[in-house]
Amino acid sequence: MADCFRLGDKEFESRLILGTGKFSDVKTMVAAINASGAELVTVALRRFNRERESDDLYGPLAALEKVTLMPNTSGARNADEAVRAALLGRELSGSPFVKVEIHPNPHHLMPDPLETFEAARRLVKEGFSVMPYVSADPVLAKRLEEVGCASVMPLGSAIGSGHGLQTMEMLDLIIRDSNVPVIVDAGLRSPSEAAAAMEAGCAAVLVNSAIAAAGDPAAMAAAFARAVAAGYSGRIAGLIDRSAFASATSPLTSFLSEDDA
Amino acid sequence: MPSWLDPGSWLGGPAAGRLDARDDTEVRRFLGLLAPRDPAGLERMAQSALSLTRRHFGRTISLYAPLYLSNYCPGGCAYCGFASDRPQQRMKLDGAALQKEMDALKALGIEDVLLLTGERTEEVGFEYLLECVGRAARRFHRVSVEAFAMDTDEYRRLGDAGCTGITLYQETYDPELYEELHRWGPKKDYTCRLDAPARALEAGLRAVGIGVLLGLGDPTFDAVCLFRHILYLRRRFWQAGILVSFPRVCSQEGGYRPAHEMSDNSLAQMIFAFRMCLPDVPLVLSTRERPALRDGLAGLGISRMSVASRTTVGGYGDSPASEKGQFDVNDGRDVATFCDALRGKKLEPVFKNWDAVLSLP
Repeated sequence: MADCFRLGDKEFESRLILGTGKFSDVKTMVAAINASGAELVTVALRRFNRERESDDLYGPLAALEKVTLMPNTSGARNADEAVRAALLGRELSGSPFVKVEIHPNPHHLMPDPLETFEAARRLVKEGFSVMPYVSADPVLAKRLEEVGCASVMPLGSAIGSGHGLQTMEMLDLIIRDSNVPVIVDAGLRSPSEAAAAMEAGCAAVLVNSAIAAAGDPAAMAAAFARAVAAGYSGRIAGLIDRSAFASATSPLTSFLSEDDA
Repeated sequence: MPSWLDPGSWLGGPAAGRLDARDDTEVRRFLGLLAPRDPAGLERMAQSALSLTRRHFGRTISLYAPLYLSNYCPGGCAYCGFASDRPQQRMKLDGAALQKEMDALKALGIEDVLLLTGERTEEVGFEYLLECVGRAARRFHRVSVEAFAMDTDEYRRLGDAGCTGITLYQETYDPELYEELHRWGPKKDYTCRLDAPARALEAGLRAVGIGVLLGLGDPTFDAVCLFRHILYLRRRFWQAGILVSFPRVCSQEGGYRPAHEMSDNSLAQMIFAFRMCLPDVPLVLSTRERPALRDGLAGLGISRMSVASRTTVGGYGDSPASEKGQFDVNDGRDVATFCDALRGKKLEPVFKNWDAVLSLP
């Protein structure tokens, strides 16, 4: 299908990816995923609990037929820990995807560029489709693309903050130059922000807090899905230039001679 | 009292050394939030605390359980049930008893344990604790320690054995009161204890839990010191995980009565103030508190709670346990009942929020 996008060896129709960490219960999480139409969801290895079904996020997610799981390395504070977590996550889930999340500071959870680069480099060699969560740094994004990452996932603003697309200027640069899908991950609060990210040229967006902590998570998930689709359609339909309304109605350069042109 | 801790200038006393302007703004905001409120003001703080907690921790509560290894203690802490002048049977878990305790906790679904001892003694020293940490780290995904103040090398060895962090309360930051309450024993050394969390972080442990025993000293003084302690640790160790607990001290049989007994309202307000000033720091509430208060504060600032706690040595398994716990548990609900209460509040109890593979040496 023309509108699919590719990550690693897999094609996805839905451009909304869901996080799973902050829901009030599994039932609400599953309802939100179903309502969102997401085909890719991420789950922290630290929330896999194979010894206690009622505490396990992996089992209920694995049971969702249309959903591909992407284990993440949340909790890792360096490349060694992230690689270990990724290998175990693949062992348990069988998924080729890994979302590399390395945040040495457990409070603000900002991703470590050096360790993330190192982990990504090693995990690509291990055969993973690597999806690195990074700050919105255009140079780092290209470095990660060069070592073979399947996408780059820059943050819109601090994780869980709901501050929206604070990094838009850098996201524009990342999107402009990227040869891999750019997925905005973290900071989104409202569906309109997801639409804006898609209009800017993101391949997809990842949302967790805005849905999980919403008053009605399933309804919010559906709203995000529509916004993501609308933003993407808008982008494809060809947005008019931002400066269009400010352009003069008669030419300003008619005084220039054709010889000089 | 070191200048990075001294709250004097904010509490009307003389300034201790040069002020850090960043601290000044933050401390003044924090102090403002501790000032008495009418019910409407407290309600507004609660709304903020709820929203910030939900934003950073989602609709989840991380659960842990304490595991008392021993009640031997040479210490003379006036407020503690394990103080050496309290007449009670002293015991420690041997290999088989530890096994039984761990089996019992695993059967409850616990994956996050806090190993506790008293102060260092001949019977219960560092090597014993290290052995227990190593064994617990093979059974549980997350193991932390609340014991005696150690040196950096000891903390490093705990980390190598699989310990993710320590809990160590200063109890009170008031040096004179500290001297008075810690009547004898190794804990008498205020500075050694004060610097222990920094040594633990220097040694590479992931997290330190700090706090004061609410009721011992002037609550505003202690809260501001605790707040400054956090700012100090955060600046010195950029990777530091910091947790804050809010234990209220109870009266003791030895005759101890808290000099600054703290009301439920004041406790709640203090928790809200910490949440509003430290939105992404886990705030911890134990079973010292009664069910209604625990349920009320879950998710309302509080993001981490103990469950089904026994504060006796050997309290979980079927071996004979020590007679008296370190403190009285006021929330004796079992795991299922407590989890139902959380779910009733639309909060997910999370048993495993860590994976041992992340903290392998």
